[in-house]
Amino acid sequence: MRRKETVAMLLAGGQGSRLGVLTEKIAKPAVSFGGKYRMIDFSLSNCVNSGIDTVGVLIQYKPFLLNKYLGTGSAWGLDEEWGGVHILPPYATESGGDWYQGTADAIYHNIDFIDGYDPEYVLVLSGDHLYQMDYNLMLDYHKLMNADLTVAVKTVPMSEASRFGIMSTDEELRITRFTEKPKEPESDLASMGIYIFRWQTLRAALLRDQELAESEHDFGKNIIPALLAEGKRLFAYVFNDYWKDVGTIPSYYATQMELLEANPAFKIFERRMRIFSNLNEHAPGYVDAAGSVKDSLCCNGCEIYGTVRRSVLSPGVYVGRGAVVEDSVLLPNSSVGENATLRRTILNENAAVAPGESVGSGDEICVVGESGTMHVKE
Amino acid sequence: MMRTIGLISTNYSVRGGYEQLCENRPAAAMPFGGRYRLMDFALSNLVNCGIRTVGVITPYYYRSILDHMGAGKAWSLDKKSGGLFVLPGTIYGFRDENSRFLLHDVIRNRQFLEQGDGDYVLCSDCGFIYNADYRPMLTQHENSGADITLLYKPLSPEERRSGNYLTADESGRVTALSRQESGEKLFLNCFVVTKSFLLRFLDNYRNMSHRDFLELLPALLSQVRVDSYPFTGFVGYTDGIADYLAASESLLRREVRQELFAGERQIYTRIHDEPPTAFSESAEVKNSVVSSGGHIGGSVENSVLFRGVVVEEGASVRGCILMEKTVIRAGAVLENVIADKHVTVGGGVTLRGTAEHPCLIVKGKSI
Repeated sequence: MRRKETVAMLLAGGQGSRLGVLTEKIAKPAVSFGGKYRMIDFSLSNCVNSGIDTVGVLIQYKPFLLNKYLGTGSAWGLDEEWGGVHILPPYATESGGDWYQGTADAIYHNIDFIDGYDPEYVLVLSGDHLYQMDYNLMLDYHKLMNADLTVAVKTVPMSEASRFGIMSTDEELRITRFTEKPKEPESDLASMGIYIFRWQTLRAALLRDQELAESEHDFGKNIIPALLAEGKRLFAYVFNDYWKDVGTIPSYYATQMELLEANPAFKIFERRMRIFSNLNEHAPGYVDAAGSVKDSLCCNGCEIYGTVRRSVLSPGVYVGRGAVVEDSVLLPNSSVGENATLRRTILNENAAVAPGESVGSGDEICVVGESGTMHVKE
Repeated sequence: MMRTIGLISTNYSVRGGYEQLCENRPAAAMPFGGRYRLMDFALSNLVNCGIRTVGVITPYYYRSILDHMGAGKAWSLDKKSGGLFVLPGTIYGFRDENSRFLLHDVIRNRQFLEQGDGDYVLCSDCGFIYNADYRPMLTQHENSGADITLLYKPLSPEERRSGNYLTADESGRVTALSRQESGEKLFLNCFVVTKSFLLRFLDNYRNMSHRDFLELLPALLSQVRVDSYPFTGFVGYTDGIADYLAASESLLRREVRQELFAGERQIYTRIHDEPPTAFSESAEVKNSVVSSGGHIGGSVENSVLFRGVVVEEGASVRGCILMEKTVIRAGAVLENVIADKHVTVGGGVTLRGTAEHPCLIVKGKSI
């Protein structure tokens, strides 16, 4: 039988409830980021750039935009004759159907999908992390260590460690303890939610976990501790390049503002680990004689007749004559009317600010969506 | 809609001052508008009226055409049934290089016409820039029972220019077609022809295959029913460098951008996946079209910047067309310059052309 060495499973069903109006209609992995990208682009592009051509995308929360955006996967070069992108929603069976109850449960329900490729390894990813990573290097490490599970980790400040899954390791980086969001962390090695499993090990663990009534069917809380208890070989793979999980409006905002720095830590401009996206239909942008753009990122399809400073403008954004946009993030196809003023504002997709209106100021971040405006303290 | 197949000719050259830019690429592959090539308009117009079988007649130096089109994916032409067909054209030197629909080119690829699933063939070159809905013309052609229907642009007195003009009677039937310095109905080198008629015509004219279909047409007008259909939207011209510059400059007008790019019919092109363009603190961009992937630190005015262009702080660019990956170093001053792809202009260099005679820099050159 034909086999795939590695199948990637991308968890993209989350709501991202802390992003408020931004995820009112779409799942978090579909939220626009950095102008022309959606969050899912980064892990999908990493797969492509690492030569992984078989990706299952697990969806659940409001998936319409995400499904349309993914299409056949051709925008990422993932329209493969054997492999490619597979959208995997919860489904019905003879005995009824269930939503995905947790990260591990989502994989459990797709065991048949993975078995169809009979892979040696399964790479589990999140669809809403911002980073560029060559998974091959991690896979090489996984093989070298003859590991059952390799967890990508990064060192975080001790003060923040209690927000993450924290690992203790021996001197060979073999994991000795894993605690999800510990109150008193005993290490600064945080899990990035990127796992490479030996498939047969994971498969068996998922089957056992399903039998446990008290399990939350979560990788960090259940599967990893269980594997540790069984004495399996679990290793940490240290990755200290750029990686972010933006969960809140302030971090979503700040992370995009960092892209405006002269040499941003997130190397989206580098061709080497190119990031693919499916927002490519617009004509080039235009800056009018009365317009001005400084210290900003601007995408195709932008029409700028006003003044733009320190802002990120996504494809299809309109800034009217006399309008001033400062320190703001304008998502795809949003518009700012004539003589309107925008400061420290995130303008959601397709949202419009009326001519002459003034939005945002001071130390709060203002988020304007179709259903209204919310203010978030930094 | 009735079944129609498309036929695009890219096997012709243009003169008029920009041979340098077309030395290694057919005119149809000429970059335009920040991210397109001229052929994108012809291909998109066909696709946008529902045609999914398109043959492209290529010249012998077709690398840039194939590089651009690939399997036709960007135009939704990678199909199991129909799709994109590359039709090799006659070699340069054996033909009038200005010929658009050389019979020999069509006869050699007769199988494409025979097998293509359609009763009509919509033919076009890539010499005019416009975004048209061909469906009304196709409907008219089908209802009228004409053999051929020509697409023309009605010109106002101030728009008139040299070109192929048609004369039609009140019913729209074409009575004359000839090259003139000025006229009212400018033929857009685009026409619908009934396939059975075209195949018969190719048989009858086998021995005159060195002639152009359009060149033979005037003599046929008395025997064949040729109708006309007007296109009243924006048309950009590409007959020479002055036309090309004027068409590029017209993109600085909002109504032209809206009509060409922002309506229901998208102009498709090959995707490059460039990141957004970064404007720095020192950027001074006025009245310009700027494509993705660029880094702008200098002053840019009345210009069209393609994908991945770098204008460093302290450089000045006015009235220029800078194609893909052009780099303008700090201190360089450019006025009325057309730089082909991958050109680098060093710091302190001043290049000045005029609107009538822009300064041309060939592909890959460093100055």
